[in-house]
Amino acid sequence: MTDLNKLTLSEAREGLKTKKFSATDLVKACFDRIKSVDKKLNAFVTLCEQDALKQAETIDINLPLGGIPLAVKDNYLTKAVRTTASSKVLDKYIAQYDATIIEKLKNAGAIIIGKTNLDAWAHGSSTETSDYGPTLNPWNTQHLPGGSSGGSAAAIAADETIISVGSETAGSIRQPAAWCGVVGFKPTYGRVSRYGIIAMKSSTDSPGPLCKTVDDAGTLLEIMSGHDPHDATSIDENSWKKPEIRQNLNGLKIGLPLSYFPPQTQPEVKEAILKAAETLKKLGAEILELPDVLDPKYSIAVYTILQRSEVSSNLARFDGIRYGHDRSYFGTEAKRRIMLGTYSLSAGYYDAYYLKAQKVRTLICQDFDKQFQKVDAIIGPVSPTTALKVGASEGQAMFGELQDMLVEPSSIAGLPGISIPCAFDKTGLPIGLQIMAPQKREDLVYQIAKLFEDNTDFHLQRPKL
Amino acid sequence: MSDNIITDAVFQHTASLSRLEIKPEEASIKNQLIEAAKYVEVLDELDTRDILPTFQVNHKKNVLREDKVEASLSQELALCQAENVSNGYFKTAATINKNK
Repeated sequence: MTDLNKLTLSEAREGLKTKKFSATDLVKACFDRIKSVDKKLNAFVTLCEQDALKQAETIDINLPLGGIPLAVKDNYLTKAVRTTASSKVLDKYIAQYDATIIEKLKNAGAIIIGKTNLDAWAHGSSTETSDYGPTLNPWNTQHLPGGSSGGSAAAIAADETIISVGSETAGSIRQPAAWCGVVGFKPTYGRVSRYGIIAMKSSTDSPGPLCKTVDDAGTLLEIMSGHDPHDATSIDENSWKKPEIRQNLNGLKIGLPLSYFPPQTQPEVKEAILKAAETLKKLGAEILELPDVLDPKYSIAVYTILQRSEVSSNLARFDGIRYGHDRSYFGTEAKRRIMLGTYSLSAGYYDAYYLKAQKVRTLICQDFDKQFQKVDAIIGPVSPTTALKVGASEGQAMFGELQDMLVEPSSIAGLPGISIPCAFDKTGLPIGLQIMAPQKREDLVYQIAKLFEDNTDFHLQRPKL
Repeated sequence: MSDNIITDAVFQHTASLSRLEIKPEEASIKNQLIEAAKYVEVLDELDTRDILPTFQVNHKKNVLREDKVEASLSQELALCQAENVSNGYFKTAATINKNK
């Protein structure tokens, strides 16, 4: 059996159930692919081949994810498996327990094949700040995959795995999904437990799936979601369930914010989003231009202050006493962020920076409330450009913020969103369409994304490696 | 915000509060901090006088769990990742100078 690694989750489930192939065949196919392409891509930090093959022999394939190979971003704690957050501080750290989501995915029968690369501590949007070297974009290895979940996105795009999970603080699922041409689903803040994920910016950290199709991402979100008493910000709701698939988008109003096309927007990106809006219109939606959405430049500033502040607090625990190496092992990017956070929280500057940013966060939330009185959902580009070249992030203090400026507002407000492939630029790099909805309205995001995907073929294209 | 200039002294103090050693080859961090601090001044354009801060977007308050003993890491497992342990405890550097 060849090319089993190319299957989607639903295709793999079908094949396993009808005994066309075994879980061992599926796991082996993924490792064959990893061995043939990962030297080029560097999507994985750690591989779990022996354990994965052993589990595949006895796994119950009737479980919801029984026998499905899973790639996990290396900031999720995975018991007895090295967990580094792509930082040398945790180079030798073997997690002592599983993150809640890992427990759920394991209980559902998923087989962890490896841990994927990220910007160290998830600080970045390029996967170039990893202490284990950059991951490269499968569509063109001279380009970046985006980040921080760049390893997970590249592993999906290159068919090194069937499913993967990442985490988003402001764009870290959607932006690499867009740059790698895969589906990245960022849930409402609190929908998916943060327990056991190495904390970055706790007030927006949102774990979620990166997959080959919208349906696959929905299946994973069903399993990952649900209240967790170990996470005090977890929403008091049962697991999210996929809604019915709509036949059309009749009666739905979708907004297009004019401020989401800043001057640096690549013309092909703008063209692709306007074309996607046309597709949604043909499917029955009413497209409304939103002329007065708060300029995303304010979200860049809010995110910069709040992210650094929370990072300086969250990374204070890494003292090399209980686990990991001492603080001299931090890379330059982490140091830069800790320093700015400490500065903005320190006596004399707190009101001017941290408090001011939290007040503007209120304005951002209020602005979304206002827009969602006019429309049901909002669309736009995920990133102003397609994947940038390797080296683009070096020495750029604000690189991530500028690449993520169009996903930061919704992250700051805790909204759900998705990135789905909607076009390719003239060099063949993918372009992502972003769909956002009010908090807890993943159903709308899913329905719009699913119908768009069913009526287009961008998600079926694969990079030639 | 523009009055907040990151001088060498402020930079060194911030590094000390952060428990970080900034190596000579990382000196550019200072200018990058100034650049970032300058960028965020854009927030001054917005009037926030009567606006309350949003620290948390799902508005949960005082989330407490039931006071019930649950299974936790064994002592052995809790200690297994530490480089220095002694008699079942984490071993740290001295924080009190005996000679003073």
